[in-house]
Amino acid sequence: MKIGVYVCRAGGEADDGVNYESVVHYAANLPQVEVVRSMGVMPKLDPEALADEIAAEGLERIVIGGDSPGFFKPAFTRAMALAGREPDEVRLASFRAYGVGGDPATDRAKAIVACAVYGVPFTLAAQPKDTKWNAAALVIGGGIAGIQAALEIADGGKRVYLVERTGTIGGHMAMFDKTFPTLDCAACILTPKMVAVGQHEMIDLLTYSEVESVTGVPGAYKATILRHARRVDEAACVACGVCSDVCPVRVPSEFDAGIAERKAIYIPFPQAVPNAYLVDEASCTYVQTNGQKCGACRKKCPKGCIDLDGHGDVMQVEVGSVIVATGYETLDAARLDRYGYGVHPNVLTALEFERLTNASGPTGGRIVTKTLKHNKRKKVDEWVFDRDGAPPKSVAIIHCVGSRDSNYNAYCSRVCCMYSLKFAHLVREKLPEAECYEFYIDMRAFGKGYEAFFERIAEEGTVIVRGRSASVTEHDGQMYVKGEDILSDSVLEFPVDMVLLAVGLVPAERSDELAAMLGVPRDADGWFTEADYNGDPTGTQRGGVYVAGVCQGPKDIPDTVAQASAVAAKVLEGAITGRGLQSLGSLTLTDIEARAKSLVSVS
Amino acid sequence: MAIRANPKLIEELEPYGAEDVMKCYHCGNCSAVCPFSADPYVFPRKPMRYLQMGLEDKLKGQLDPWLCYYCGECSDQCPREAEPGETMMSLRRWLTSKYDWTGISRLFYRSWRWELGAIVLVAILTAIGFTLFGMSQGSIAHYDGPDAFLPSASIHIFDWVLAGVLLTFLLSNAARMWWFTMGRDKDLPTTLGSYITSAWMLPAHFFTQVRYSKCEHKRSWATHLALMLSYVTMLVLIMFFLTRMASGPEIDWSVHVAGYFATAGLLLGTALFLRNRVKRSSAQYRHSHESDWIFLVLILIVATTGILQHILHRSGLDVAANVAYIVHLSLVVPMLALEVPFSKWSHLAYRPLAMYLAQVRATALARARSGEATALRPGAERTQAHAA
Repeated sequence: MKIGVYVCRAGGEADDGVNYESVVHYAANLPQVEVVRSMGVMPKLDPEALADEIAAEGLERIVIGGDSPGFFKPAFTRAMALAGREPDEVRLASFRAYGVGGDPATDRAKAIVACAVYGVPFTLAAQPKDTKWNAAALVIGGGIAGIQAALEIADGGKRVYLVERTGTIGGHMAMFDKTFPTLDCAACILTPKMVAVGQHEMIDLLTYSEVESVTGVPGAYKATILRHARRVDEAACVACGVCSDVCPVRVPSEFDAGIAERKAIYIPFPQAVPNAYLVDEASCTYVQTNGQKCGACRKKCPKGCIDLDGHGDVMQVEVGSVIVATGYETLDAARLDRYGYGVHPNVLTALEFERLTNASGPTGGRIVTKTLKHNKRKKVDEWVFDRDGAPPKSVAIIHCVGSRDSNYNAYCSRVCCMYSLKFAHLVREKLPEAECYEFYIDMRAFGKGYEAFFERIAEEGTVIVRGRSASVTEHDGQMYVKGEDILSDSVLEFPVDMVLLAVGLVPAERSDELAAMLGVPRDADGWFTEADYNGDPTGTQRGGVYVAGVCQGPKDIPDTVAQASAVAAKVLEGAITGRGLQSLGSLTLTDIEARAKSLVSVS
Repeated sequence: MAIRANPKLIEELEPYGAEDVMKCYHCGNCSAVCPFSADPYVFPRKPMRYLQMGLEDKLKGQLDPWLCYYCGECSDQCPREAEPGETMMSLRRWLTSKYDWTGISRLFYRSWRWELGAIVLVAILTAIGFTLFGMSQGSIAHYDGPDAFLPSASIHIFDWVLAGVLLTFLLSNAARMWWFTMGRDKDLPTTLGSYITSAWMLPAHFFTQVRYSKCEHKRSWATHLALMLSYVTMLVLIMFFLTRMASGPEIDWSVHVAGYFATAGLLLGTALFLRNRVKRSSAQYRHSHESDWIFLVLILIVATTGILQHILHRSGLDVAANVAYIVHLSLVVPMLALEVPFSKWSHLAYRPLAMYLAQVRATALARARSGEATALRPGAERTQAHAA
């Protein structure tokens, strides 16, 4: 059989680490390959010219190699038909589908081309070897993804180490007021799961801890976990709060997205798991002065469970699988100066509004504008939220802040349209007299029940303006949102009292370090790369390392939970059988070639 | 009736410089940040949409591209790198070629080889023509006097003839612009009165370019204004005081001082614009069409040869001064004859005219909207209802 190999690239700029010249050279030396062509980036293919070449060279099979060869398949199929050959003999050697991006990318690309030339499915030839499996799993990240995966694995009777960087599990979901589109109370769904994690005999909950290193092979990983000094005995603390009452230090509360303050000894929120206080060493006077000053909390604690001189600890665990569930951060809204975040006091980010509208937030869920108050301690006037502040008469919600924007994040963050609609509902529900405007580019209401939710919001009286607004300005004490309503071709200006910025999602801080530690690639936007976009969305290049939730790409709560459950099933499979697959990357080019050849001779 | 779309329009615009229009997803950011975009002229998003949809006829009737001074704010902030500012620039080139009935403009904008070739050809013909003319008139050894090689009186007549030809082309094209944007719109209730009351805008915008000063970059406006005023000064000197300009070899301060200022302005203006384009210093200079380079370089070398001719004449080197004069003329003639009616320079007419017509049009639309539109023709209401 005479075979032609055509290497076509779809993504010119994305560097997938493949040396295309080397792949072309390699393909030329494969048996039966008559023609090898390097077609460059996004070639304009002429089926008739290709057909002439196919006929002239007598080609019987075409292999298209490249990052996304499916793109070019129609032209080659047509060329084969025109040349009077079997159109089905167009084989794709997709580097992306089989996870090039790992190390070594070029060898992987060569192996993919070789399998296509031999006519053997890559997944069959590159099936990693079976290996013995440790049933325990390490979950990195205690948000809803980590919680769900940990619970399901533990319910399956296997040991889980759940590592969380902050003092409590719960993640972003714990900050939310309601979930879309059902408007369920987020805490009502989440907190029972959190409690279950805290009480589960198969889960070792390691909060205020970080994974320092992961070594070993799939099925037998050794993880070193750094346990930061909590300085409060987690088991003894009853969360009475006396320590916090006497603490003189005030810093912005992370849990309240900075719109309220907490003490240096604090509990992130009342339902935190573990339900114990912790000391923030960066702001604690005692720790910062090496024990010279303060120490008031220790004297007052009725349980005597505060150890301000406590220190961190390092522990090692042995696991078979590692689940990455590190989630996201929101884009820094101050980067877009045209929306005046940080300049105008009543321009809020999505998370700030979640806390403002949340019944457990600083205003008890009242939607109010900020009030100028004198801060006696700092001796400055500050804009702060006050329970008795004036409610806004009109609220603007701006979509796509830093998303779908080549100057910031080119991708769609996927959740913002829906949470923005949810915000509109909450505003109109709590302040029926207030005007509410949504400024959007395209309304992405793609999930089950989402379109109906969108319609409902429109019916509730929210003004939905098509066109992302361009700027937020203030004159004479009145804020204005300016934007084009593209449906009426008019540039409009809306006076508003509050602006909510639907900021996009970005990978969690230090995801790069984690990716390097685990040997798992990330895509150009920084999200962890799954093994196969369609076929294996929870696996990664590395055997036994899985991804769940937003760390793999922006997604909403239902999708996150679904993916976390899927990961649990994968982990349990290895845990129950005691066997699992090695890393895809552990097979060398020679291994794959040999296996492909043997499979050809069998067939 | 439904509008027939031209799906090839976007490809047609490519040689004019519009390459990224399809990236636009209509967030409307550009129109909202534009300092000029206001009812009823909301751009650049709307023209981008017309382009995507291939609404050639609508675009041909648009004044909007001429109301943009390309501050580049829209392109800087565009989330899609769709380059709305450059699209407006490309539309101005395309519209210029549409206004021009000879088809020369289209040829030039679509191929720099044609433009440059035509310039070289006209330059050679001019050089030959003036050399033969000079030989018939006098001796190359004399720059002025009774035996002058190129007597300024004859050149003066030639200048006026050339000006007449250029004006004919330019005005006929401007008339077509009026027809496309105003005349053929039968439902537009314009009145002669509004044409008269807004007429002040023509000289006002021509001489001050005050609108440009509302852009973010004041320096671009100042440079552009200086360059334009320098050229106008030079034009006045040549059209009305050529004999005094050419007399010598002593310096006639009454006219030459103005000439020196104008020359300095021309050199400085072109040099600054060329520097900006080479350095791609901001959005409006990032993309340079071949016609932009040809235009600037042409002005620069015309000014340089003019200076050379002036110095040689004042130094009493008559032969060299005559040669420099021939070279100067053979660059001036193609610069004027080709750039003014058919290429970038035509905007000297279209821009002020567009602002004037835009005012007349806006007045008419406001009248129509407020219900006082007595000038509405029968049938217009039906068309409006149809559109609604």
